Amino acid sequence: MIHIKKGQISFYWKSVKDVFSFSFSLGKRTKRTRVFYLLSFLPVVMALVIKFAQYFYGRTDIQGIYIFSNIIMMFYLQFLILLLALFFGSSVCLDELEGKTLTYLTTRPVPKPAIILGKYAAYSVLIVLMTGAGVVFSFLILNCENLGDVSLYKILLRDISVLCLGLISYASFFTFLGTFLKKSVMVGLIFGFGWENVVQYFPGSTQKFTIAHYLKSLLPSLNTGRFSFLLFRLEPTSPQAAVGMLFLITGFFLVLACVIFSFKEYLFED
Amino acid sequence: MNPVIETKNLSKWYGNVLGLSDVFLQISSGITGLLGPNGAGKSTLLSLITGQIKPSIGSVSLLGERIRNNYPLLARIGYCPERDSFYEEMTGWQYLTGLLKLGHFSSSQIESLAEKALDIVELVEDKHRVIRSYSQGMRQRLKFAQAIAHNPEVLILDEPLNGLDPLGKRKLISLIKSYRQKEKTVLVSSHVLPEIEALTQQIILIHQGKIFAQGDIHYIRDLLETHPHKISIRCSHPRKMASEFIHKPYVLKVSFGTSQDSLIVETNNRDGLFSIIPSLSVKNNIQIDEITSPDDNLQAVFDYLVGK
Repeated sequence: MIHIKKGQISFYWKSVKDVFSFSFSLGKRTKRTRVFYLLSFLPVVMALVIKFAQYFYGRTDIQGIYIFSNIIMMFYLQFLILLLALFFGSSVCLDELEGKTLTYLTTRPVPKPAIILGKYAAYSVLIVLMTGAGVVFSFLILNCENLGDVSLYKILLRDISVLCLGLISYASFFTFLGTFLKKSVMVGLIFGFGWENVVQYFPGSTQKFTIAHYLKSLLPSLNTGRFSFLLFRLEPTSPQAAVGMLFLITGFFLVLACVIFSFKEYLFED
Repeated sequence: MNPVIETKNLSKWYGNVLGLSDVFLQISSGITGLLGPNGAGKSTLLSLITGQIKPSIGSVSLLGERIRNNYPLLARIGYCPERDSFYEEMTGWQYLTGLLKLGHFSSSQIESLAEKALDIVELVEDKHRVIRSYSQGMRQRLKFAQAIAHNPEVLILDEPLNGLDPLGKRKLISLIKSYRQKEKTVLVSSHVLPEIEALTQQIILIHQGKIFAQGDIHYIRDLLETHPHKISIRCSHPRKMASEFIHKPYVLKVSFGTSQDSLIVETNNRDGLFSIIPSLSVKNNIQIDEITSPDDNLQAVFDYLVGK
């Protein structure tokens, strides 16, 4: 009996790996990936502009790490990771339905949950790489005078980790939406830029119903000038609980997506 | 012999819309044609057979096993969907090797299987072009290649000849026919009668989600006892032959063909008519050059069955 279970697990694992490999190879070729790759380099351009402006106007009073933290908070956490997770997460299932290519996957000897998990993993790696590249380059540009300062790299590592957690948890939610709803992008936009951006500022424990709350709980309450309100939280969650919660959210929505995908019949509209 | 594909009491509804109704089928190895007009339920039946959708009622078994959620069984099936949909940004090679990867083959196996399949469909030279740039015929052949690449025991082909030029059709027909020699099971659907006729004599007629008939084209023809059969006879003295036929009780109508040496006889007893032709020929010294049955094709049977 144990042998059968082990066999099943290895079959599932192999299926996930094979779907991952296929989807990663497919995902990196799409127009969407190219567009979002360019978009993820926007902070790099911003960093370059800021740096040049500092040199031209001789303003060296604002530290690079301070600007970097603002970029992380404003551009990445509030905008880019939401957008990336939305468009890649929802497309795990939606791409196959809209392209009418789902049949190619569902007629292969791979379990349906493995299709979702493999594609989700492939797209998550893609968006993590996109985000990571932009973050690292903007960090290096903004802190080019202090590259020998080891403490700055700790900040970089922490910020990248938080963004990765944000990407995987948002992507799992949007993957679930994509398997469940036809208009998942629209609902995702309302969730990402409506619910997440509003409810996180509600007092009390209501804010804990947002992913953004747990992500911000992992970042220090820096004085970010006029954007400091973005870090405002009445009941901060401890970092350990926040990380646990983010993994729980990721796992929960992935399981839900797998269950829906396994049982739902997707009909193509001709 | 055990049937390779078996359906029992198979029905499928899409909400209130009936997709398939009470289908009992037993399909053995060889080529079987699934014929029906658009919207007849062909794709629904093939989707049920390949386990993509769940039956509302009834069951499907393939190679003696249930198909639904039986993932290892899918390795023994090749499916060519009707829709012209691809991962457009991939090259033919990437598409084929990628899908073979999902069959859990090793890298070396994948390469050799993909190479072989592309060779069969004559796409080796174009394998590194992106699919977006392929012609309709190339796309159709590539779709066929992904169905046969892993050397499946059962091939399910949904309208595989759609969009092909006559030469392409001929090539693909001979390719599909070669699977009969390999003792594989091929179920091929089409709404074009000559395509099915060119592929097989073993057919299933489907219309409005129901199976009208299943079997050899001649067997189906014999089922239609009440339907008059047309027999065309090309002979040396058609008028003399016609005068002999006209008195027979099972001859319904006699007319002359477009050529001067032929006559067309309508009968409700084909065997009876065939049995007297030799004696009439000898008795009247009439040389028979050719006997054909102009309506012994799928179109005639199909039109009659669906009441057109």
